[in-house]
Amino acid sequence: MLWLYLHFPHLLLDHILRSSEHTAALVIVEDSRQKVIQACPAARDLGVNTGMRLKTAVSLAPNLGIIRADEQQEARILEDQARWLHHYAAHIVLVPPNGLLAEIGSLQRLYGGLPAVWQTVEEALHKRHLTAWPGIGHTPQAARLLARTGKGECTSDKGNILHTLGLMPLVAAEFDRRTYTRLQRLGLNTLGEVFSLPPAEMARRFSPETLAYIQKIQGSRSDPQEFWQPPGYFRQQADFVQEIEHSQGLLFPLQRMLSELENDLCWRQQDTDSLLLVLRYRHTEPTLLRIRTSGPEHRADAFLNLISLRFEQQPLQAPVVSLQLSVKRFLGREAAGGQDLLGESQDLSEAWHTLMSRLQARLGENALKQLAPRPDHRPEYAWSASRVQLKNSAAQIKAWQLPGRPLWLLHGPQPLTEAPQAWFTGPERISGGWWDGQRVHRDYYIAQLNNGQLAWVFRDVRDGWFVHGWFG
Amino acid sequence: MSEILNTLMQDARVWQGYKHNKTTQPAEPTGYQALDNQLGGLGWPRGALSECLLDASGIGELNLLIPLMQRLSQAGKTVFWLNPPHTPYAPALAQAEINLNQVIMIQTEDTGDFLWTLENCLRSRVTGLVMAWPGRLAAREIRRLQLAAETGSNVCVLFRERHYAEQNSPAALRLELEPDDQQGLKVNIIKRRGSWPGQRCSLAMAHRAGLFYPEAPRVVQGPWPTSAR
Repeated sequence: MLWLYLHFPHLLLDHILRSSEHTAALVIVEDSRQKVIQACPAARDLGVNTGMRLKTAVSLAPNLGIIRADEQQEARILEDQARWLHHYAAHIVLVPPNGLLAEIGSLQRLYGGLPAVWQTVEEALHKRHLTAWPGIGHTPQAARLLARTGKGECTSDKGNILHTLGLMPLVAAEFDRRTYTRLQRLGLNTLGEVFSLPPAEMARRFSPETLAYIQKIQGSRSDPQEFWQPPGYFRQQADFVQEIEHSQGLLFPLQRMLSELENDLCWRQQDTDSLLLVLRYRHTEPTLLRIRTSGPEHRADAFLNLISLRFEQQPLQAPVVSLQLSVKRFLGREAAGGQDLLGESQDLSEAWHTLMSRLQARLGENALKQLAPRPDHRPEYAWSASRVQLKNSAAQIKAWQLPGRPLWLLHGPQPLTEAPQAWFTGPERISGGWWDGQRVHRDYYIAQLNNGQLAWVFRDVRDGWFVHGWFG
Repeated sequence: MSEILNTLMQDARVWQGYKHNKTTQPAEPTGYQALDNQLGGLGWPRGALSECLLDASGIGELNLLIPLMQRLSQAGKTVFWLNPPHTPYAPALAQAEINLNQVIMIQTEDTGDFLWTLENCLRSRVTGLVMAWPGRLAAREIRRLQLAAETGSNVCVLFRERHYAEQNSPAALRLELEPDDQQGLKVNIIKRRGSWPGQRCSLAMAHRAGLFYPEAPRVVQGPWPTSAR
């Protein structure tokens, strides 16, 4: 087995930098002791270093952006990284707070050799603007140590790996404080010298745990790992150093998140029809925005169009501190329809969905209606309006048994104010509705009014005359 | 002659007095032979606005479009009803053999939304016909719609009040609709591309209520218990 360890020296910093358009100097400070633990290149140029006190850092760079480290957030970001790495490698182990371990021995044949695997991962890292130190080792611990010291090389040779490890100073080998002091007092300086101690002596003089650790590095003791399973949903979050006041400013990070979503959907071979955006503010309750498309969709620009339409309709309540995009509903991707020789119908149905989604995003979902007749004798119940849906089935055109009906139905019957000029067919008696309390008992006529309108009029039980429709 | 001038002539955008030009602009037959003849044998122009100006609904104005709606909806093109003044009655549409799956009714709240929606519908390839009831519109807004219509190639009919007939409009075709005798519809062409306006014709529309003139009215005179009126 061969392991690849990715050590992210400043993951939180990378995460924040890539969702902001302009790069100001930025540092991450420890939660309690006000010490700088990560500094971005711009901050380092100004003289800010890790381990520096915050006060010193601020005096060096007055416009410093300061972010407090947050364990939960870091865990979440690490999991984000595992999600994309899972596209390349199947067996991944999360090593909190800032490491990922992947089994790559089985990938060599797929990618065509270890250098190809190495290059693929480096490209993926570069594409996401992430800084990571990779390390390859024959055991998880060896890979981890090599990566964390930045000595990782693209080699699968065990002897070579052990040699590099052997030259490593003891400080870097991450023994606990007590063991480290004792080893140092014995006059040992490198890890190689520790490796050459007889195991029985090691266990007796130090603790069995120390021996186990050494053996796990060397590979003479098994080191079982629990592999990470990707979750069944997609989630991405962008955190902003400077609060974003205009919705236009949210589009830049959204673009990146949506293209990640597109990649994820392509990889799943699935589509989605609803996205959930959560906008968090500093003081008020977060806003939930549900973006729906009228059909399965995976393209980032289509989603971005819909979201920007929604933002135009709904201005931000307050400056946004973080933005979360999640997708929980996945739909099977439609196979390209083979009904049409030129593939036009597929194209058209895509255009149809795009148009409907756009209209719904701006006007609201209830503004668009599809009409259908309903089997009821009462005219106001003989039709229904439903949400828009693409129905490819051929129209059900059947011989309609009813007498002539007008093309316009009034929203409610209007009193007839004048005596009609001419009467045509009638009466057609419609009586029903005793079963649901909406009783109707009417005689319908077709009549022409003085201004030429052809009306559908009725007389009800109480002898009132009403217009119910126009023959448009 | 330069190329631009040639195009202008062929699209009949330049009015050439007495000369009757056969235009090459795309169009959809109206389904009424008499009206098609008056429109130079073409029909509803595609990729341009048409206006129907009328006083009150119920004079057969929708029936003018029923043949087109029928043809387009069965060909899989979408028919939009934008801000209709009353409910388009689904049983009647089904009776007229219109594929209701392709009929979409949209209600917008303000003029901004209305124009935006109409433009989007006009630009899409899925649209066959847009029927819109705009209410009040400024000439500038109609111009904007005309430009949007030119980017697509579908029929767009605006239904407006008849007093707008006196104002000019950038629409390519303007029809004034009036009720005629025998439940017919009198169509007066106020404007059309490439020729003189002013043609009139009368279309029989009595079939819209299942009436066939000169059949006598079929009202059953009853010995009613109490007199109706």
